[in-house]
Amino acid sequence: MATKYLFTNLLGSFVFDEQFKVVDSIKFSSFDEYNDSNKRQQTEQKLTSVHNPKFTTQQLLEKPNSKILQQILPYFKSKDNFSNFYSQNMALTASLIKQAVNEDDFIIQAINNIEEIDKVANTLSKRLREWYELYNPEFSRSIESHEMFVELILSKTKQELLKEIKHDENLLGADIKKQDLEPMLNLGRSIHELYSLKQKHTEYLENLMDTYCKNVKAIAGALIGAKLLEHAKSLKHLAALPSSTIQILGAEKALFRHIKTGARSPKYGVLISHPFVSRAKQKDRGKIARALANKLALAAKVDYYKGEFIGDKLRAEIDKKFS
Amino acid sequence: MQTTKFPGIFESQVGRKRILLTKNFVKGKKVYDEYLHTEGPIEYREWNASKSKLCAAILKNINQIGIKPGDIVLYLGASSGTTPSHVSDIVGSEGFVFGLDFAPRVVRDLVFLAKDRKNLAPILADANKPETYADRISTVDVVYMDIAQKNQTEIFLKNCNLFLKPDGYALLAIKARSIDVTKRPSIIFEEVRRLLEREMKLIDYKTLDPFQLDHMMFICKKK
Repeated sequence: MATKYLFTNLLGSFVFDEQFKVVDSIKFSSFDEYNDSNKRQQTEQKLTSVHNPKFTTQQLLEKPNSKILQQILPYFKSKDNFSNFYSQNMALTASLIKQAVNEDDFIIQAINNIEEIDKVANTLSKRLREWYELYNPEFSRSIESHEMFVELILSKTKQELLKEIKHDENLLGADIKKQDLEPMLNLGRSIHELYSLKQKHTEYLENLMDTYCKNVKAIAGALIGAKLLEHAKSLKHLAALPSSTIQILGAEKALFRHIKTGARSPKYGVLISHPFVSRAKQKDRGKIARALANKLALAAKVDYYKGEFIGDKLRAEIDKKFS
Repeated sequence: MQTTKFPGIFESQVGRKRILLTKNFVKGKKVYDEYLHTEGPIEYREWNASKSKLCAAILKNINQIGIKPGDIVLYLGASSGTTPSHVSDIVGSEGFVFGLDFAPRVVRDLVFLAKDRKNLAPILADANKPETYADRISTVDVVYMDIAQKNQTEIFLKNCNLFLKPDGYALLAIKARSIDVTKRPSIIFEEVRRLLEREMKLIDYKTLDPFQLDHMMFICKKK
């Protein structure tokens, strides 16, 4: 009996003989007929029952059979097929893009947004302080945190604020008319809004990390964990990374400088903001970052493969070592 | 506007600079921030050499690009569609481009581009695994690859093997930095050349500076 090949692609199901001529085919009229595996199997079944092919699509797509596939694919290179290739590919790609969205993307967007809000709020706060110091420089000098500063100038008057910092006299501040004061307070309100937005997003991120990668979160915290994920692009990739790479995620520039010019290698990347690392002496930081990265590599793997919660155990091991 | 030795590609002199242009497939629409030039009834899109390696290679006088009107092209590493849009201009309504990329973010842009260009099909797939998208494309006249992967030569040969017609042209843009940052680019190019010559007939190769640093464009023909 002659060898026959069954090949199903976006356009339809085709049966080829051993000269690679089409002997029978059923063309798909919609994307659904390709995408729905039940319908596709039915179509293939119809042809299989008539022709009894030696090779199926699945087998043809395997590597050892690429020689056969090479002979089949030229058949589709004909002008009438391209409008179908276009519409079917558009539909398939659209649905693949739709499916590709997952928690990784949400976490990456959220952490990037939190960092951006921070930057913007900082810039605006500096402007607000510059502005407000025309009116009440003593108070602005006395408080360091932008967030507190904005909150206080919105809720209290100049006199109350001065009393609070035990400055009886306002020596340098000008008396400003109400209409000139209002714009700067408006700016303050907007900045205040930004800080509460950041708060909300941080809570959202914490929740997300709790459900998606709670082990990583237990060791690194939500923000650092999310930053690691952002550098690795996905939890899947983070789980595949060795701990030595996790240790220096975020220090790519220094790493490549090290590889290229032989400069000193980086010891930590985003892990620098972890309290254990930032609190340690300079000479211990590399070691602590390495230990942290070790545990994070374990945690990421457990998270990706949906294992049990071992974050607290891992955390306790590091705690014992470093605090 | 003058024709070049490559059909579908035009050139013009702006001051002392030579620029390349392609006929706009979708009249009045820009793809990135390129300039549009109108001459008579035809609208041309200026081709930015620092954004497109193919354009840079032509300006560096590569002796063949293989892509001509009516061709079917497999474009690996289509990204958001800067160069694919010009390839789609060149092959025109008689030709077809399969634009493939791995990252959902950029393929999203590609889908929007393809909405206007009916000769460009966006494909979301990993070029390293040809068997996963073999059921979405046909054999092609030209393979063009511009992906920044460590094993890009191997991926290139795999794809040419499966999808390129006999005697078809294949172009490969190599970024030395993504193969090995520590090695000298010239050594990497030499290695790539040796790999290519084993399976393909090498026609020409050009470095792309000053448009792109440490890049080289290879054009070869299937044996």
